[in-house]
Amino acid sequence: MGNKIVVPFGSQHIALPEPVSFLFDTKNEIITDVRVDVGYVHRGIEKAAITKFEFTNVAYLLTRICGFCSITHAGGYHHGIEKLLDVEAPKRAEYIRLIITELDRIHSHMLANAHVAEVAGYENLFMQGVKDREIVMDLLENITGNRIQYDIYTIGGVRRDISKETAEYIKKQLNKLKDKVLKVYDFYDTDYTFGLKTKGISYISYDDAKKYNVVGPIARASGLATDARAEFDYLPYDELGFEVQTRTEGDVWARNIVRQMEVVHSIDLILRAIDNLPEGDIKVKYKGRPKGETFVRVEAPRGECFYYLKGNGTKVLERVRVRVPTYSNIPILKELFVGEKYSDAQPIVLSFDPCMSCTAR
Amino acid sequence: MGFFSKFRKKSPWILHYNTGGCNGCDIEILATLAPKYDIERFGALNRGNPKQADILLVTGPVTKNCRDVLRRLYLEMPEPKVVVAMGACGHGGGVFRHLYNVENGVDNIIPVDVWIPGCAPNPRALIDGIVEAINIWEKKSKDKEYMKNHSKDMIKNLGVNDD
Repeated sequence: MGNKIVVPFGSQHIALPEPVSFLFDTKNEIITDVRVDVGYVHRGIEKAAITKFEFTNVAYLLTRICGFCSITHAGGYHHGIEKLLDVEAPKRAEYIRLIITELDRIHSHMLANAHVAEVAGYENLFMQGVKDREIVMDLLENITGNRIQYDIYTIGGVRRDISKETAEYIKKQLNKLKDKVLKVYDFYDTDYTFGLKTKGISYISYDDAKKYNVVGPIARASGLATDARAEFDYLPYDELGFEVQTRTEGDVWARNIVRQMEVVHSIDLILRAIDNLPEGDIKVKYKGRPKGETFVRVEAPRGECFYYLKGNGTKVLERVRVRVPTYSNIPILKELFVGEKYSDAQPIVLSFDPCMSCTAR
Repeated sequence: MGFFSKFRKKSPWILHYNTGGCNGCDIEILATLAPKYDIERFGALNRGNPKQADILLVTGPVTKNCRDVLRRLYLEMPEPKVVVAMGACGHGGGVFRHLYNVENGVDNIIPVDVWIPGCAPNPRALIDGIVEAINIWEKKSKDKEYMKNHSKDMIKNLGVNDD
């Protein structure tokens, strides 16, 4: 029969870049119950956004909710505030925003996949993934000037332009990256031992995904075609021929494959955007103060991110509400653990690509 | 050079803890462990165990929930140890300064030896900080090994009374 043993996972753990605490009740290595504490990163950002910062500066705070999705939060805030101020960013700025957003998605997905590979026991594959990812980081540093917190969004446009030389450089490097990504994709797709470790683990059916309101690559791996890029018009994705990537298997393996497919598709989108980059200004002036309320849905690397903004005609906003993708994925994550082996707990957690600093804010 | 110092300096192991930052620094730490920047050429490995660690790499502004965990990790590490605070929010809170759930920086909780500025710091800056930390750590290691004609103040400064 075996005794009941409680195994802690976090808040400090080698596999976790962020503090989050899981307490697993196990019996003969099978998990029977799990308790989650996500509150370690709570800083009180929503409160500070409506008390300490003016609407021109609050974006610096909101992008520092999370390092991976900083561009998503910048996007969510700026698309909302532009609606309130009645400003429309020029076409060229929209395209540059799209390029940075997709580059951010590529580096986040590549790191997430590499991380799953590492905790499944493939350290070499982790190194390979992170090495290839450096190409994207170089591009981001070239375009925006920083590797993680870009702050390229500004109200009514972007801060920096993409020059002709940079455009050529991006094209050259992305073609190089695509070959490397396809090589790793092939490994994830066909390798037998990697399949043994990941196939059939933590299965989510289509109905469950719908019932628990799962978002992002996790939903798309279960066949639920939900993507804010296709459903909500905030950047010119339609003009570039965006398609939602889905699989139907619904396990750890399928999530990795969906992310890898999205990386390839994002590279295609960026290459098309560079080819069709419109001429013109990158910034327009705005005046007035935000008044009224609005909401924005943007697609973070982990799923749909929701922004609600309310202004009252003063410099400081009245309400900033953020709902992040990981928050809506936690209920099903808790259900999935029960009945799995403890040794599979780490790949399950990391296949969800949890972002705790988004969740607790 | 003493016996332990000689071997110690070849393997400074890192313990990494995020105390509520935006995880931008943690991404850069992962990038620094990977082939392009490769911190392992200095012998540094990221190991999750405080009992085997020599360098505590702290990111984030220290939220109230993380405060006790951070203090406990510091106390669990064996002497000699070095603390590196990484990122702008480790330096007095950064953009999160004076938010209601934040302790305004790492040095309000534990003593810090090396500061790495930037939001987020470049991997090159991180490597520079780690090399600096290794030098400080080597010095601490030597000081501790030759404790023959020590003064009481020195022991107090090093914090090794209970060793």
